[in-house]
Amino acid sequence: MISKVLIANRGEIALRVILACKEMGLKTVAVHSEADRDSLHVRYADEDVCIGPAPSRQSYLSISSIIAAAEITGADAIHPGYGFLAENSHFAEIAGECQLTFIGPSPESIRLMGDKAKARETAKKAGVPILPGSEGPTRTHAEALEVSRSIGFPVILKAAAGGGGRGMRICANEADLASAFETARSEAERAFGSADVYVEKYLERPRHIEIQVFGDTQGRIVALGERECSIQRRHQKLIEESPSPVITQELRKQMGEAAVKLCESVHYMNAGTIEFLFQDGQFYFMEMNTRIQVEHAVTEEVTALDLVKEQIRVASGLPLSVPHGDFHLRGHAMEFRINAEDPVTFAPNPGKIREFHVPGGPGVRVDTAAYRDYVIPPHYDSLIAKLVVRGKNREETLARGRRALDLFIIEGVKTSIPLHRAILDEPRFIRGDFSTRFMEEFEW
Amino acid sequence: MNFKEILELIDKVSELGIAELEIEQAGTRIRIQGQTHHAPAIHAWSGDLPRETPFPQLPSPTPATLTAKAEGEEESEAGLHIITSPIVGTFYRSANPESDPFVAVGDHIAPGKVLCIIEAMKLMNEIESDIDGEIAKVYPQNGQPVEYGEKLFAVRT
Repeated sequence: MISKVLIANRGEIALRVILACKEMGLKTVAVHSEADRDSLHVRYADEDVCIGPAPSRQSYLSISSIIAAAEITGADAIHPGYGFLAENSHFAEIAGECQLTFIGPSPESIRLMGDKAKARETAKKAGVPILPGSEGPTRTHAEALEVSRSIGFPVILKAAAGGGGRGMRICANEADLASAFETARSEAERAFGSADVYVEKYLERPRHIEIQVFGDTQGRIVALGERECSIQRRHQKLIEESPSPVITQELRKQMGEAAVKLCESVHYMNAGTIEFLFQDGQFYFMEMNTRIQVEHAVTEEVTALDLVKEQIRVASGLPLSVPHGDFHLRGHAMEFRINAEDPVTFAPNPGKIREFHVPGGPGVRVDTAAYRDYVIPPHYDSLIAKLVVRGKNREETLARGRRALDLFIIEGVKTSIPLHRAILDEPRFIRGDFSTRFMEEFEW
Repeated sequence: MNFKEILELIDKVSELGIAELEIEQAGTRIRIQGQTHHAPAIHAWSGDLPRETPFPQLPSPTPATLTAKAEGEEESEAGLHIITSPIVGTFYRSANPESDPFVAVGDHIAPGKVLCIIEAMKLMNEIESDIDGEIAKVYPQNGQPVEYGEKLFAVRT
């Protein structure tokens, strides 16, 4: 059994894990860089260890420092959160070798599903619909051209080891492909250490819809409905909601079954997300994230589950507490990512928060590690809070979102709050009629 | 037991550094927890890092003593070169339990001289001096866990 959890992360997700541990009566260990001494996760954990200087590479990405921190504090489990080492199979492996329970999937699952090309092959074998494209990486321009001609332009080049939108190139025609191929390869090499890229059919107006999955050690795998994540800029999600305005109960069932089938084929354990592209009533497997997601709270609000507690339960060998039988989402939930950034240029805006007032009232949840007088360090990502609103239907959720954003006061740094507020008045967003191109076309 | 007596008890508990005291008398049960109960293991040895705590705690003389000591250290450290830990791990003053410490207070050291070992992930990392001088102070105890950036030695140059 787990008794003391070390959280190998920072910010709101580190705090989120601490909350779950507190409810379960587990001791917590926070690790932090020198820049995060005054962070809330450090303050609220039972113990804390400074593991290095501000740069992530020497602190939150330093496997040896984190394992050493677990050793000196006697922690028996590690929660990786999201980002940093969450999808590093080597980290999961070392944790296991050091007799620490890794609260997440097995190193094999992380390795298999973390490689986009391999994940695509696995999905294909499991009978999950995938976008037409190359079988594995294309190593030459000629090879990429041949595949592109057979599936038809437009196509997209993607880094096999990539994520977060880096190493992607859209090619409308053969000339585009000729100029983008080598650039995509060198970009992939620089960003991910592997030049492998593959070719895929490019959908012009898809929606990004993902299915939350969960597996336990007893071999039970469940799908917990979808999250609509089409509102993105530069492949970074801004707003997520569940249910999606376009997914019917029948489609939900089909997508859930496809996601479960894929997870069963790799004996997946713990929390994961299967991302699909959706266009014209068809869904296509895009990739799998082998971790808890930033937007997990949206699913929690419409399923009445605590996914982080569920992760810890499952890692301890306990069965999932998700009820058996028909699955339905209850009500509607929406998350707004409040980033410390210029809402127009999206330039990060670190600095001191001079005023911080969090909205409340029915159906409002704020996950944050920020507070008044907190100084947002420039070394890490710009997410400072997640505002999650819940209502009986989408209309009530939108109304709650508007009033919660109006009452969310952050002064001292620029935030994405005004942008979110403007999106909530956009007729196409209100109608639920949008694709991943929404932000390119949105003017305010 | 009246209110005044309870207050006196609380004072006594914190004064003597008692972790926990439970008294049952005429149907009333009183439990008093001292500061030590919540004191986190890491901070038990890093008294120079002030930590705010979300839990209301009984006043205890311990932190005050530590603070005073830390301030005293600040003064005596003036003009000294401080060597801090480059990694998280367990601090050892000698290569093995039988051998002599690498250095002791008063020893003259030069750059490259091994000062201690910090064990992390079963690896023994030798920490070398980066300066010429004389060891003025050794901060951690042998076998004590240390954080990144924690003070190890003060060197008089």
